[in-house]
Amino acid sequence: MITPEWAAAAPTLVLGVTALVLFAFDSIDPESSNNPVLAGIAVVGSLAAMGVSVAYLVAGVGDPAVELYGGQLVVDGMALFFQVIFTSVTALVALASYDYLEDMRHQAEYYILLLLAATGMSLMAAAGSLAVGFVALELASLPSYGLVAFLKQNRGSAEAGLKYFLIGALSSAVFAYGISLVYAVSGSLLIDAVAGSVRNAGQPGVLGVGVLMVLGGFAFKTASVPFHFWAPEAYEGAPAPISAFLSSASKAAGFALAFRVMTVAFPIEGVVGAVDWVLAVQVLAVVTMTLGNFAAATQENVKRMLAYSSVGHAGYVLIGLAALTGTGDGGLVLGAGMIHLLVYGFMNTGAFLFIALAEYWGVGRTFADYNGLARRAPLACVAMTVFMFSLAGLPVGGGFVSKYYLFAGAVNAGVWWLALVGAVNSALSLFYYSRVVKAMWIEEPAEGVDVSSYPSTLYAAVITAAVVTVVLLPALGLFSGFAFDAAAAVLF
Amino acid sequence: MAVSVQYYLILSAFVFCVGLFGILTRRNALLFLMSVELMLNAANINFVAFSYYHGNLTGQVFSLFTMALAAAEVAVGIGIILVLYRNFADVDVTKATTLRW
Repeated sequence: MITPEWAAAAPTLVLGVTALVLFAFDSIDPESSNNPVLAGIAVVGSLAAMGVSVAYLVAGVGDPAVELYGGQLVVDGMALFFQVIFTSVTALVALASYDYLEDMRHQAEYYILLLLAATGMSLMAAAGSLAVGFVALELASLPSYGLVAFLKQNRGSAEAGLKYFLIGALSSAVFAYGISLVYAVSGSLLIDAVAGSVRNAGQPGVLGVGVLMVLGGFAFKTASVPFHFWAPEAYEGAPAPISAFLSSASKAAGFALAFRVMTVAFPIEGVVGAVDWVLAVQVLAVVTMTLGNFAAATQENVKRMLAYSSVGHAGYVLIGLAALTGTGDGGLVLGAGMIHLLVYGFMNTGAFLFIALAEYWGVGRTFADYNGLARRAPLACVAMTVFMFSLAGLPVGGGFVSKYYLFAGAVNAGVWWLALVGAVNSALSLFYYSRVVKAMWIEEPAEGVDVSSYPSTLYAAVITAAVVTVVLLPALGLFSGFAFDAAAAVLF
Repeated sequence: MAVSVQYYLILSAFVFCVGLFGILTRRNALLFLMSVELMLNAANINFVAFSYYHGNLTGQVFSLFTMALAAAEVAVGIGIILVLYRNFADVDVTKATTLRW
Protein backbone atom coordinates (compact mmCIF):
# COMPACT_ATOMS: atom_id res chain seq x y z
CA MET A 1 0.00 0.00 0.00
CA ILE A 2 1.03 3.61 -0.46
CA THR A 3 -0.27 7.01 0.67
CA PRO A 4 -1.50 9.06 -1.07
CA GLU A 5 -3.05 6.41 -3.27
CA TRP A 6 -2.63 8.27 -6.55
CA ALA A 7 1.15 8.10 -6.06
CA ALA A 8 0.91 4.45 -7.13
CA ALA A 9 0.51 5.73 -10.70
CA ALA A 10 3.80 7.63 -10.42
CA PRO A 11 5.69 5.79 -13.24
CA THR A 12 2.98 6.79 -15.72
CA LEU A 13 2.80 10.33 -14.33
CA VAL A 14 6.57 10.82 -14.54
CA LEU A 15 6.58 9.75 -18.21
CA GLY A 16 3.66 12.05 -19.01
CA VAL A 17 5.22 15.01 -17.18
CA THR A 18 8.51 14.43 -19.02
CA ALA A 19 6.66 14.63 -22.33
CA LEU A 20 5.08 17.92 -21.19
CA VAL A 21 8.44 19.31 -20.08
CA LEU A 22 9.83 18.55 -23.53
CA PHE A 23 6.78 20.22 -25.03
CA ALA A 24 7.33 23.34 -22.90
CA PHE A 25 11.01 23.41 -23.88
CA ASP A 26 10.09 23.11 -27.53
CA SER A 27 7.53 25.91 -27.36
CA ILE A 28 10.03 28.25 -25.67
CA ASP A 29 12.83 27.38 -28.07
CA PRO A 30 11.36 25.92 -31.26
CA GLU A 31 13.79 24.52 -33.81
CA SER A 32 16.25 24.21 -30.95
CA SER A 33 19.68 22.99 -31.88
CA ASN A 34 20.41 22.19 -28.26
CA ASN A 35 19.97 18.46 -28.75
CA PRO A 36 21.84 17.27 -25.64
CA VAL A 37 19.18 18.96 -23.52
CA LEU A 38 16.31 17.34 -25.43
CA ALA A 39 17.84 13.87 -25.30
CA GLY A 40 18.90 14.51 -21.70
CA ILE A 41 15.37 15.36 -20.55
CA ALA A 42 14.00 12.25 -22.25
CA VAL A 43 16.66 9.96 -20.77
CA VAL A 44 16.45 11.43 -17.27
CA GLY A 45 12.64 11.31 -17.33
CA SER A 46 12.47 7.69 -18.39
CA LEU A 47 15.24 6.69 -15.97
CA ALA A 48 13.33 8.43 -13.15
CA ALA A 49 10.18 6.53 -14.12
CA MET A 50 12.20 3.32 -14.17
CA GLY A 51 13.65 4.07 -10.74
CA VAL A 52 10.17 4.67 -9.33
CA SER A 53 8.72 1.48 -10.79
CA VAL A 54 11.66 -0.65 -9.61
CA ALA A 55 11.41 0.88 -6.13
CA TYR A 56 7.65 0.20 -6.04
CA LEU A 57 8.16 -3.35 -7.22
CA VAL A 58 10.78 -4.03 -4.55
CA ALA A 59 8.78 -2.27 -1.83
CA GLY A 60 5.69 -4.29 -2.70
CA VAL A 61 3.43 -1.33 -3.50
CA GLY A 62 1.36 -3.50 -5.84
CA ASP A 63 0.66 -6.15 -3.21
CA PRO A 64 -2.24 -5.98 -2.55
CA ALA A 65 -3.25 -4.23 -5.78
CA VAL A 66 -3.98 -0.50 -5.53
CA GLU A 67 -7.22 0.42 -7.30
CA LEU A 68 -7.52 4.03 -8.44
CA TYR A 69 -10.54 5.97 -9.74
CA GLY A 70 -13.08 3.31 -8.89
CA GLY A 71 -11.07 0.48 -10.38
CA GLN A 72 -10.30 2.19 -13.71
CA LEU A 73 -6.59 1.89 -12.94
CA VAL A 74 -5.10 -1.12 -11.19
CA VAL A 75 -1.52 -0.87 -9.98
CA ASP A 76 -0.35 -4.36 -9.09
CA GLY A 77 2.84 -6.36 -9.42
CA MET A 78 2.16 -7.11 -13.08
CA ALA A 79 1.62 -3.44 -13.97
CA LEU A 80 4.84 -2.41 -12.19
CA PHE A 81 6.83 -5.24 -13.75
CA PHE A 82 5.75 -4.19 -17.25
CA GLN A 83 6.42 -0.54 -16.45
CA VAL A 84 10.03 -1.50 -15.66
CA ILE A 85 10.27 -3.00 -19.16
CA PHE A 86 8.77 0.04 -20.94
CA THR A 87 10.80 2.62 -19.07
CA SER A 88 14.13 0.83 -19.51
CA VAL A 89 13.52 0.35 -23.25
CA THR A 90 12.50 4.01 -23.55
CA ALA A 91 15.68 5.12 -21.75
CA LEU A 92 17.89 3.02 -24.04
CA VAL A 93 16.12 4.24 -27.17
CA ALA A 94 16.25 7.90 -26.11
CA LEU A 95 19.96 7.55 -25.33
CA ALA A 96 20.71 5.96 -28.69
CA SER A 97 18.57 8.48 -30.59
CA TYR A 98 20.88 11.34 -29.66
CA ASP A 99 23.55 10.17 -32.08
CA TYR A 100 21.14 8.67 -34.58
CA LEU A 101 19.23 11.94 -35.02
CA GLU A 102 22.37 14.05 -35.35
CA ASP A 103 21.70 17.06 -37.62
CA MET A 104 18.07 16.11 -38.24
CA ARG A 105 15.20 18.53 -37.78
CA HIS A 106 12.15 18.13 -35.52
CA GLN A 107 14.08 16.39 -32.77
CA ALA A 108 11.90 17.79 -29.97
CA GLU A 109 8.82 16.29 -31.64
CA TYR A 110 10.58 12.95 -31.86
CA TYR A 111 11.28 12.79 -28.12
CA ILE A 112 7.80 14.08 -27.23
CA LEU A 113 6.15 11.37 -29.33
CA LEU A 114 8.48 8.76 -27.84
CA LEU A 115 7.60 9.75 -24.28
CA LEU A 116 3.86 10.00 -25.05
CA ALA A 117 3.89 6.51 -26.54
CA ALA A 118 5.70 5.26 -23.43
CA THR A 119 3.04 6.93 -21.26
CA GLY A 120 0.33 5.10 -23.21
CA MET A 121 2.11 1.78 -22.76
CA SER A 122 2.56 2.34 -19.06
CA LEU A 123 -1.17 3.11 -18.83
CA MET A 124 -2.02 -0.04 -20.80
CA ALA A 125 -0.24 -2.15 -18.20
CA ALA A 126 -2.33 -0.59 -15.42
CA ALA A 127 -5.69 -0.49 -17.24
CA GLY A 128 -8.50 -1.70 -15.01
CA SER A 129 -11.27 -1.32 -17.57
CA LEU A 130 -11.67 -1.97 -21.28
CA ALA A 131 -12.32 1.76 -21.82
CA VAL A 132 -8.98 2.75 -20.27
CA GLY A 133 -7.33 -0.09 -22.16
CA PHE A 134 -8.67 1.18 -25.49
CA VAL A 135 -7.74 4.81 -24.86
CA ALA A 136 -4.26 3.82 -23.62
CA LEU A 137 -3.76 1.56 -26.63
CA GLU A 138 -4.55 4.49 -28.90
CA LEU A 139 -2.25 6.77 -26.88
CA ALA A 140 0.53 4.26 -27.48
CA SER A 141 -0.35 3.72 -31.15
CA LEU A 142 -0.93 7.23 -32.52
CA PRO A 143 2.55 8.59 -31.62
CA SER A 144 4.06 5.36 -32.97
CA TYR A 145 2.51 5.94 -36.41
CA GLY A 146 4.13 9.37 -36.48
CA LEU A 147 7.48 8.01 -35.30
CA VAL A 148 7.58 5.31 -37.98
CA ALA A 149 7.00 7.95 -40.67
CA PHE A 150 9.51 10.30 -39.00
CA LEU A 151 11.97 10.32 -41.92
CA LYS A 152 9.62 12.35 -44.08
CA GLN A 153 11.86 12.52 -47.16
CA ASN A 154 12.48 8.79 -47.10
CA ARG A 155 10.07 6.76 -49.24
CA GLY A 156 10.54 3.64 -47.16
CA SER A 157 9.71 5.44 -43.95
CA ALA A 158 6.58 7.08 -45.38
CA GLU A 159 5.40 3.77 -46.79
CA ALA A 160 6.08 1.96 -43.50
CA GLY A 161 4.16 4.65 -41.62
CA LEU A 162 1.18 4.31 -43.96
CA LYS A 163 1.03 0.52 -43.69
CA TYR A 164 1.43 0.61 -39.91
CA PHE A 165 -1.29 3.23 -39.69
CA LEU A 166 -3.76 1.45 -41.99
CA ILE A 167 -3.49 -1.90 -40.23
CA GLY A 168 -3.45 -0.16 -36.84
CA ALA A 169 -6.63 1.76 -37.66
CA LEU A 170 -8.33 -1.39 -38.93
CA SER A 171 -7.38 -3.43 -35.88
CA SER A 172 -8.37 -0.70 -33.43
CA ALA A 173 -11.80 -0.59 -35.11
CA VAL A 174 -12.04 -4.38 -34.70
CA PHE A 175 -10.94 -4.00 -31.08
CA ALA A 176 -13.55 -1.30 -30.41
CA TYR A 177 -16.28 -3.42 -31.97
CA GLY A 178 -15.19 -6.38 -29.87
CA ILE A 179 -15.40 -4.25 -26.72
CA SER A 180 -18.89 -3.11 -27.75
CA LEU A 181 -20.04 -6.74 -28.07
CA VAL A 182 -18.56 -7.61 -24.67
CA TYR A 183 -20.37 -4.59 -23.24
CA ALA A 184 -23.57 -5.75 -24.93
CA VAL A 185 -23.39 -9.01 -23.01
CA SER A 186 -22.00 -7.83 -19.69
CA GLY A 187 -23.28 -4.26 -19.32
CA SER A 188 -19.97 -3.07 -17.90
CA LEU A 189 -16.49 -2.16 -19.06
CA LEU A 190 -14.67 -2.72 -15.75
CA ILE A 191 -12.59 -5.86 -16.09
CA ASP A 192 -13.65 -7.26 -12.71
CA ALA A 193 -17.33 -6.61 -13.39
CA VAL A 194 -17.10 -8.16 -16.85
CA ALA A 195 -15.63 -11.29 -15.28
CA GLY A 196 -18.65 -11.51 -12.96
CA SER A 197 -21.26 -11.25 -15.69
CA VAL A 198 -19.73 -13.31 -18.50
CA ARG A 199 -20.18 -16.51 -16.52
CA ASN A 200 -23.32 -18.18 -17.88
CA ALA A 201 -23.87 -15.15 -20.10
CA GLY A 202 -27.17 -14.94 -21.96
CA GLN A 203 -25.84 -14.58 -25.51
CA PRO A 204 -22.79 -16.87 -25.86
CA GLY A 205 -22.54 -16.21 -29.59
CA VAL A 206 -22.23 -12.44 -29.19
CA LEU A 207 -19.77 -12.87 -26.34
CA GLY A 208 -17.68 -15.34 -28.34
CA VAL A 209 -17.36 -13.02 -31.33
CA GLY A 210 -16.56 -10.13 -28.99
CA VAL A 211 -13.78 -12.03 -27.21
CA LEU A 212 -12.23 -13.11 -30.52
CA MET A 213 -12.32 -9.52 -31.83
CA VAL A 214 -10.67 -8.22 -28.65
CA LEU A 215 -8.03 -10.91 -29.15
CA GLY A 216 -7.54 -9.58 -32.69
CA GLY A 217 -6.80 -6.13 -31.28
CA PHE A 218 -4.09 -7.63 -29.08
CA ALA A 219 -2.68 -9.59 -32.02
CA PHE A 220 -2.03 -6.29 -33.82
CA LYS A 221 -0.25 -4.69 -30.89
CA THR A 222 1.90 -7.75 -30.24
CA ALA A 223 2.60 -8.38 -33.96
CA SER A 224 1.06 -11.86 -33.87
CA VAL A 225 -0.78 -13.69 -36.63
CA PRO A 226 -3.27 -12.66 -38.13
CA PHE A 227 -2.38 -8.95 -37.70
CA HIS A 228 1.37 -9.37 -38.01
CA PHE A 229 2.03 -8.29 -41.60
CA TRP A 230 2.60 -4.66 -40.71
CA ALA A 231 5.61 -5.62 -38.58
CA PRO A 232 8.29 -6.39 -41.19
CA GLU A 233 7.33 -3.27 -43.17
CA ALA A 234 7.16 -0.93 -40.21
CA TYR A 235 10.36 -2.21 -38.58
CA GLU A 236 12.30 -2.08 -41.83
CA GLY A 237 11.15 1.39 -42.89
CA ALA A 238 11.22 3.10 -39.49
CA PRO A 239 14.32 4.75 -37.99
CA ALA A 240 16.19 1.88 -36.30
CA PRO A 241 15.79 3.17 -32.69
CA ILE A 242 12.04 3.32 -33.33
CA SER A 243 12.09 -0.25 -34.63
CA ALA A 244 13.75 -1.19 -31.35
CA PHE A 245 11.11 0.70 -29.38
CA LEU A 246 8.16 -0.82 -31.25
CA SER A 247 9.38 -4.39 -31.35
CA SER A 248 10.28 -4.46 -27.64
CA ALA A 249 8.17 -2.00 -25.66
CA SER A 250 5.10 -1.87 -27.88
CA LYS A 251 4.94 -5.66 -28.06
CA ALA A 252 5.28 -5.92 -24.27
CA ALA A 253 2.49 -3.35 -23.86
CA GLY A 254 0.17 -5.43 -26.04
CA PHE A 255 0.93 -8.47 -23.95
CA ALA A 256 0.46 -6.54 -20.69
CA LEU A 257 -3.10 -5.63 -21.66
CA ALA A 258 -3.76 -9.06 -23.20
CA PHE A 259 -2.60 -10.92 -20.08
CA ARG A 260 -4.82 -8.84 -17.81
CA VAL A 261 -7.96 -8.76 -19.98
CA MET A 262 -7.89 -12.39 -21.06
CA THR A 263 -7.14 -13.84 -17.62
CA VAL A 264 -9.21 -11.51 -15.43
CA ALA A 265 -12.17 -10.51 -17.63
CA PHE A 266 -12.58 -13.78 -19.52
CA PRO A 267 -11.46 -16.56 -17.13
CA ILE A 268 -11.40 -19.65 -19.29
CA GLU A 269 -13.51 -21.80 -16.98
CA GLY A 270 -16.24 -19.13 -17.11
CA VAL A 271 -16.38 -18.47 -20.86
CA VAL A 272 -15.44 -21.88 -22.26
CA GLY A 273 -19.11 -22.43 -23.16
CA ALA A 274 -19.07 -19.33 -25.38
CA VAL A 275 -15.57 -19.39 -26.80
CA ASP A 276 -12.51 -21.51 -26.04
CA TRP A 277 -10.00 -18.69 -26.41
CA VAL A 278 -7.17 -20.79 -24.98
CA LEU A 279 -7.50 -23.09 -27.98
CA ALA A 280 -7.52 -20.06 -30.30
CA VAL A 281 -4.34 -18.72 -28.65
CA GLN A 282 -2.68 -22.14 -28.91
CA VAL A 283 -3.29 -22.15 -32.66
CA LEU A 284 -2.10 -18.54 -32.93
CA ALA A 285 1.04 -19.31 -30.91
CA VAL A 286 2.04 -22.23 -33.12
CA VAL A 287 1.30 -20.37 -36.37
CA THR A 288 3.04 -17.19 -35.16
CA MET A 289 6.19 -19.00 -34.01
CA THR A 290 6.49 -21.07 -37.16
CA LEU A 291 5.66 -18.31 -39.61
CA GLY A 292 7.95 -15.80 -37.92
CA ASN A 293 10.93 -18.14 -37.79
CA PHE A 294 10.57 -19.59 -41.29
CA ALA A 295 10.12 -16.13 -42.81
CA ALA A 296 13.15 -14.86 -40.86
CA ALA A 297 15.26 -17.74 -42.17
CA THR A 298 14.67 -16.69 -45.79
CA GLN A 299 15.59 -13.01 -45.41
CA GLU A 300 18.69 -11.38 -46.86
CA ASN A 301 18.13 -8.07 -45.07
CA VAL A 302 19.28 -8.06 -41.43
CA LYS A 303 16.69 -5.57 -40.20
CA ARG A 304 13.89 -7.52 -41.87
CA MET A 305 15.24 -10.76 -40.42
CA LEU A 306 15.05 -9.20 -36.94
CA ALA A 307 11.51 -8.03 -37.69
CA TYR A 308 10.36 -11.55 -38.52
CA SER A 309 12.24 -12.94 -35.54
CA SER A 310 10.26 -10.43 -33.46
CA VAL A 311 7.06 -12.02 -34.83
CA GLY A 312 8.47 -15.40 -33.82
CA HIS A 313 9.16 -14.19 -30.27
CA ALA A 314 5.56 -12.97 -30.00
CA GLY A 315 4.67 -16.61 -30.65
CA TYR A 316 6.88 -17.78 -27.76
CA VAL A 317 5.29 -15.31 -25.35
CA LEU A 318 1.79 -16.35 -26.51
CA ILE A 319 2.59 -19.71 -24.88
CA GLY A 320 2.13 -17.78 -21.62
CA LEU A 321 -1.58 -17.45 -22.45
CA ALA A 322 -1.95 -20.65 -24.46
CA ALA A 323 -0.87 -22.84 -21.53
CA LEU A 324 -3.58 -21.53 -19.18
CA THR A 325 -5.50 -24.74 -19.62
CA GLY A 326 -6.51 -24.95 -15.98
CA THR A 327 -4.13 -27.84 -15.28
CA GLY A 328 -0.69 -27.14 -13.89
CA ASP A 329 0.60 -23.88 -12.44
CA GLY A 330 -0.86 -21.00 -14.48
CA GLY A 331 1.19 -18.42 -12.57
CA LEU A 332 4.39 -20.17 -13.59
CA VAL A 333 3.80 -19.99 -17.32
CA LEU A 334 2.23 -16.50 -17.31
CA GLY A 335 5.17 -15.26 -15.22
CA ALA A 336 7.54 -16.92 -17.68
CA GLY A 337 5.94 -14.91 -20.47
CA MET A 338 6.54 -11.71 -18.49
CA ILE A 339 10.17 -12.66 -17.83
CA HIS A 340 10.74 -13.42 -21.49
CA LEU A 341 9.39 -9.97 -22.37
CA LEU A 342 11.78 -8.38 -19.86
CA VAL A 343 14.83 -10.16 -21.27
CA TYR A 344 13.57 -9.57 -24.81
CA GLY A 345 13.25 -5.87 -23.97
CA PHE A 346 17.03 -5.71 -23.58
CA MET A 347 18.36 -8.19 -26.12
CA ASN A 348 16.05 -7.18 -28.96
CA THR A 349 16.40 -3.45 -28.28
CA GLY A 350 20.15 -3.94 -28.30
CA ALA A 351 20.06 -5.82 -31.61
CA PHE A 352 18.03 -3.09 -33.31
CA LEU A 353 20.29 -0.42 -31.83
CA PHE A 354 23.24 -2.24 -33.37
CA ILE A 355 21.41 -1.89 -36.70
CA ALA A 356 21.07 1.81 -35.88
CA LEU A 357 24.83 1.90 -35.37
CA ALA A 358 25.36 0.19 -38.74
CA GLU A 359 23.00 2.68 -40.41
CA TYR A 360 24.93 5.50 -38.76
CA TRP A 361 28.14 4.19 -40.33
CA GLY A 362 26.43 3.77 -43.70
CA VAL A 363 26.95 0.00 -43.72
CA GLY A 364 24.47 -1.68 -46.07
CA ARG A 365 21.40 -3.62 -45.03
CA THR A 366 22.11 -7.21 -46.07
CA PHE A 367 24.04 -9.97 -44.31
CA ALA A 368 26.86 -9.63 -46.82
CA ASP A 369 27.29 -5.94 -45.92
CA TYR A 370 28.13 -6.97 -42.35
CA ASN A 371 31.11 -9.03 -43.51
CA GLY A 372 34.18 -8.45 -41.41
CA LEU A 373 32.58 -5.71 -39.34
CA ALA A 374 34.18 -7.19 -36.22
CA ARG A 375 37.63 -6.02 -37.36
CA ARG A 376 36.52 -2.41 -37.41
CA ALA A 377 34.23 -2.37 -34.39
CA PRO A 378 35.02 -5.39 -32.20
CA LEU A 379 33.29 -4.13 -29.06
CA ALA A 380 29.92 -3.50 -30.75
CA CYS A 381 30.19 -6.83 -32.54
CA VAL A 382 30.76 -8.68 -29.27
CA ALA A 383 27.55 -7.05 -28.02
CA MET A 384 25.67 -8.05 -31.20
CA THR A 385 26.93 -11.62 -30.83
CA VAL A 386 25.57 -11.71 -27.29
CA PHE A 387 22.17 -10.45 -28.52
CA MET A 388 21.98 -12.97 -31.36
CA PHE A 389 22.87 -15.99 -29.24
CA SER A 390 20.63 -14.84 -26.41
CA LEU A 391 17.73 -14.38 -28.84
CA ALA A 392 18.34 -17.89 -30.13
CA GLY A 393 18.24 -19.16 -26.55
CA LEU A 394 21.88 -20.15 -26.02
CA PRO A 395 23.11 -19.74 -22.43
CA VAL A 396 25.12 -16.56 -22.99
CA GLY A 397 22.28 -14.28 -21.91
CA GLY A 398 18.97 -14.18 -20.09
CA GLY A 399 17.14 -15.47 -23.19
CA PHE A 400 18.13 -19.01 -22.27
CA VAL A 401 16.54 -18.93 -18.83
CA SER A 402 13.32 -17.21 -19.90
CA LYS A 403 12.76 -19.67 -22.75
CA TYR A 404 13.47 -22.53 -20.38
CA TYR A 405 10.82 -21.21 -17.96
CA LEU A 406 8.31 -20.83 -20.81
CA PHE A 407 8.79 -24.35 -22.16
CA ALA A 408 8.89 -25.87 -18.66
CA GLY A 409 5.66 -24.05 -17.83
CA ALA A 410 4.02 -25.37 -21.00
CA VAL A 411 5.05 -28.95 -20.20
CA ASN A 412 3.82 -28.47 -16.64
CA ALA A 413 0.41 -27.34 -17.97
CA GLY A 414 0.08 -30.48 -20.09
CA VAL A 415 0.61 -28.80 -23.48
CA TRP A 416 4.02 -30.37 -24.10
CA TRP A 417 3.51 -30.10 -27.86
CA LEU A 418 3.62 -26.30 -27.58
CA ALA A 419 7.02 -26.57 -25.89
CA LEU A 420 8.13 -29.01 -28.61
CA VAL A 421 7.13 -26.60 -31.42
CA GLY A 422 8.88 -23.80 -29.52
CA ALA A 423 12.07 -25.83 -29.13
CA VAL A 424 12.13 -26.81 -32.82
CA ASN A 425 11.63 -23.18 -33.77
CA SER A 426 14.43 -22.09 -31.43
CA ALA A 427 16.76 -24.54 -33.12
CA LEU A 428 15.79 -23.14 -36.51
CA SER A 429 16.29 -19.59 -35.27
CA LEU A 430 19.90 -20.41 -34.33
CA PHE A 431 20.56 -20.86 -38.07
CA TYR A 432 19.64 -17.35 -39.12
CA TYR A 433 20.94 -15.61 -35.99
CA SER A 434 24.33 -17.25 -36.45
CA ARG A 435 24.44 -15.99 -40.05
CA VAL A 436 24.89 -12.48 -38.63
CA VAL A 437 27.63 -13.66 -36.29
CA LYS A 438 29.37 -15.57 -39.09
CA ALA A 439 29.26 -12.53 -41.36
CA MET A 440 30.70 -10.26 -38.68
CA TRP A 441 33.50 -12.49 -37.40
CA ILE A 442 34.47 -14.98 -40.11
CA GLU A 443 33.84 -13.45 -43.52
CA GLU A 444 36.38 -11.20 -45.20
CA PRO A 445 35.59 -7.47 -44.94
CA ALA A 446 33.74 -5.84 -47.80
CA GLU A 447 35.31 -2.96 -49.67
CA GLY A 448 34.56 0.67 -49.12
CA VAL A 449 32.91 0.65 -45.69
CA ASP A 450 34.45 3.32 -43.55
CA VAL A 451 33.93 3.05 -39.81
CA SER A 452 35.54 6.33 -38.98
CA SER A 453 33.64 7.55 -35.93
CA TYR A 454 32.44 5.86 -32.78
CA PRO A 455 29.18 7.58 -31.70
CA SER A 456 29.36 7.59 -27.91
CA THR A 457 25.70 7.44 -26.84
CA LEU A 458 24.75 4.80 -29.41
CA TYR A 459 27.69 2.75 -28.18
CA ALA A 460 26.70 3.34 -24.57
CA ALA A 461 23.15 2.14 -25.26
CA VAL A 462 24.30 -0.99 -27.13
CA ILE A 463 26.87 -1.91 -24.47
CA THR A 464 24.41 -1.29 -21.62
CA ALA A 465 21.84 -3.54 -23.29
CA ALA A 466 24.49 -6.25 -23.78
CA VAL A 467 25.71 -6.06 -20.18
CA VAL A 468 22.16 -6.28 -18.84
CA THR A 469 21.40 -9.22 -21.16
CA VAL A 470 24.41 -11.12 -19.84
CA VAL A 471 23.82 -10.15 -16.22
CA LEU A 472 20.20 -11.31 -16.48
CA LEU A 473 21.43 -14.88 -17.01
CA PRO A 474 22.61 -15.34 -13.41
CA ALA A 475 20.47 -12.55 -11.92
CA LEU A 476 17.14 -13.63 -13.34
CA GLY A 477 16.57 -15.66 -10.21
CA LEU A 478 16.24 -12.39 -8.29
CA PHE A 479 13.58 -11.03 -10.66
CA SER A 480 11.66 -14.17 -11.48
CA GLY A 481 10.05 -14.24 -8.03
CA PHE A 482 8.40 -10.86 -8.67
CA ALA A 483 7.05 -12.04 -12.03
CA PHE A 484 5.70 -15.35 -10.75
CA ASP A 485 4.06 -13.70 -7.73
CA ALA A 486 2.55 -10.95 -9.89
CA ALA A 487 1.20 -13.46 -12.41
CA ALA A 488 -0.26 -15.65 -9.68
CA ALA A 489 -1.90 -12.59 -8.09
CA VAL A 490 -3.60 -11.71 -11.37
CA LEU A 491 -4.81 -15.26 -11.96
CA PHE A 492 -6.37 -15.91 -8.56
CA MET B 1 -42.98 1.08 -28.89
CA ALA B 2 -39.23 0.87 -28.58
CA VAL B 3 -37.22 -0.99 -31.19
CA SER B 4 -35.95 -4.21 -29.69
CA VAL B 5 -32.23 -4.35 -29.06
CA GLN B 6 -31.25 -7.13 -31.42
CA TYR B 7 -32.16 -4.97 -34.42
CA TYR B 8 -29.49 -2.50 -33.33
CA LEU B 9 -27.04 -5.36 -33.21
CA ILE B 10 -27.94 -6.34 -36.76
CA LEU B 11 -27.67 -2.72 -37.94
CA SER B 12 -24.24 -2.32 -36.35
CA ALA B 13 -23.01 -5.63 -37.78
CA PHE B 14 -24.17 -4.45 -41.21
CA VAL B 15 -22.38 -1.10 -40.89
CA PHE B 16 -19.25 -2.90 -39.66
CA CYS B 17 -19.30 -5.23 -42.66
CA VAL B 18 -19.75 -2.31 -45.06
CA GLY B 19 -16.64 -0.72 -43.55
CA LEU B 20 -14.69 -3.98 -43.73
CA PHE B 21 -15.72 -4.47 -47.36
CA GLY B 22 -14.54 -0.96 -48.14
CA ILE B 23 -11.15 -1.63 -46.58
CA LEU B 24 -10.68 -4.86 -48.49
CA THR B 25 -11.66 -3.45 -51.88
CA ARG B 26 -10.65 0.24 -51.98
CA ARG B 27 -7.17 1.31 -52.97
CA ASN B 28 -7.50 5.01 -52.17
CA ALA B 29 -6.08 5.74 -48.70
CA LEU B 30 -8.76 8.38 -48.01
CA LEU B 31 -11.60 5.94 -48.73
CA PHE B 32 -9.77 3.55 -46.45
CA LEU B 33 -10.01 6.13 -43.64
CA MET B 34 -13.73 6.59 -44.27
CA SER B 35 -14.26 2.84 -44.07
CA VAL B 36 -12.46 2.67 -40.72
CA GLU B 37 -14.72 5.49 -39.54
CA LEU B 38 -17.76 3.39 -40.47
CA MET B 39 -16.43 0.45 -38.46
CA LEU B 40 -15.82 2.63 -35.40
CA ASN B 41 -19.33 4.06 -35.68
CA ALA B 42 -20.72 0.55 -35.84
CA ALA B 43 -19.19 0.05 -32.40
CA ASN B 44 -20.80 3.32 -31.29
CA ILE B 45 -24.26 2.09 -32.33
CA ASN B 46 -23.76 -0.94 -30.09
CA PHE B 47 -22.53 1.16 -27.20
CA VAL B 48 -25.45 3.57 -27.27
CA ALA B 49 -28.10 0.89 -27.85
CA PHE B 50 -26.85 -1.37 -25.08
CA SER B 51 -26.30 1.54 -22.77
CA TYR B 52 -30.07 2.12 -23.00
CA TYR B 53 -30.74 -1.63 -22.72
CA HIS B 54 -28.61 -2.08 -19.60
CA GLY B 55 -29.78 1.18 -18.08
CA ASN B 56 -26.31 2.59 -17.36
CA LEU B 57 -24.36 5.41 -18.99
CA THR B 58 -21.03 3.61 -19.42
CA GLY B 59 -21.65 2.83 -23.08
CA GLN B 60 -22.76 6.34 -24.00
CA VAL B 61 -19.72 7.88 -22.34
CA PHE B 62 -17.42 5.43 -24.05
CA SER B 63 -18.95 6.22 -27.44
CA LEU B 64 -17.85 9.83 -26.89
CA PHE B 65 -14.31 8.58 -26.26
CA THR B 66 -14.47 6.51 -29.43
CA MET B 67 -15.52 9.56 -31.47
CA ALA B 68 -12.68 11.67 -30.04
CA LEU B 69 -10.18 8.90 -30.74
CA ALA B 70 -11.52 8.45 -34.26
CA ALA B 71 -10.96 12.16 -34.86
CA ALA B 72 -7.41 11.94 -33.49
CA GLU B 73 -6.74 8.89 -35.62
CA VAL B 74 -7.94 10.67 -38.77
CA ALA B 75 -5.74 13.66 -37.96
CA VAL B 76 -2.65 11.47 -37.71
CA GLY B 77 -3.75 9.45 -40.72
CA ILE B 78 -4.23 12.49 -42.94
CA GLY B 79 -0.74 13.65 -41.96
CA ILE B 80 0.78 10.33 -42.97
CA ILE B 81 -1.21 10.25 -46.21
CA LEU B 82 0.10 13.75 -46.98
CA VAL B 83 3.68 12.52 -46.49
CA LEU B 84 2.86 9.56 -48.73
CA TYR B 85 1.51 11.88 -51.41
CA ARG B 86 4.65 14.02 -51.31
CA ASN B 87 6.87 10.96 -51.72
CA PHE B 88 4.87 8.95 -54.24
CA ALA B 89 2.62 11.63 -55.83
CA ASP B 90 -0.36 9.34 -55.25
CA VAL B 91 -2.67 8.17 -52.46
CA ASP B 92 -3.13 4.68 -53.90
CA VAL B 93 -2.10 2.27 -51.11
CA THR B 94 -0.92 -0.34 -53.61
CA LYS B 95 1.52 2.04 -55.35
CA ALA B 96 3.82 2.37 -52.34
CA THR B 97 6.01 -0.68 -52.80
CA THR B 98 9.54 0.39 -51.93
CA LEU B 99 9.53 -2.35 -49.31
CA ARG B 100 8.13 -5.75 -50.09
CA TRP B 101 4.47 -5.96 -49.05
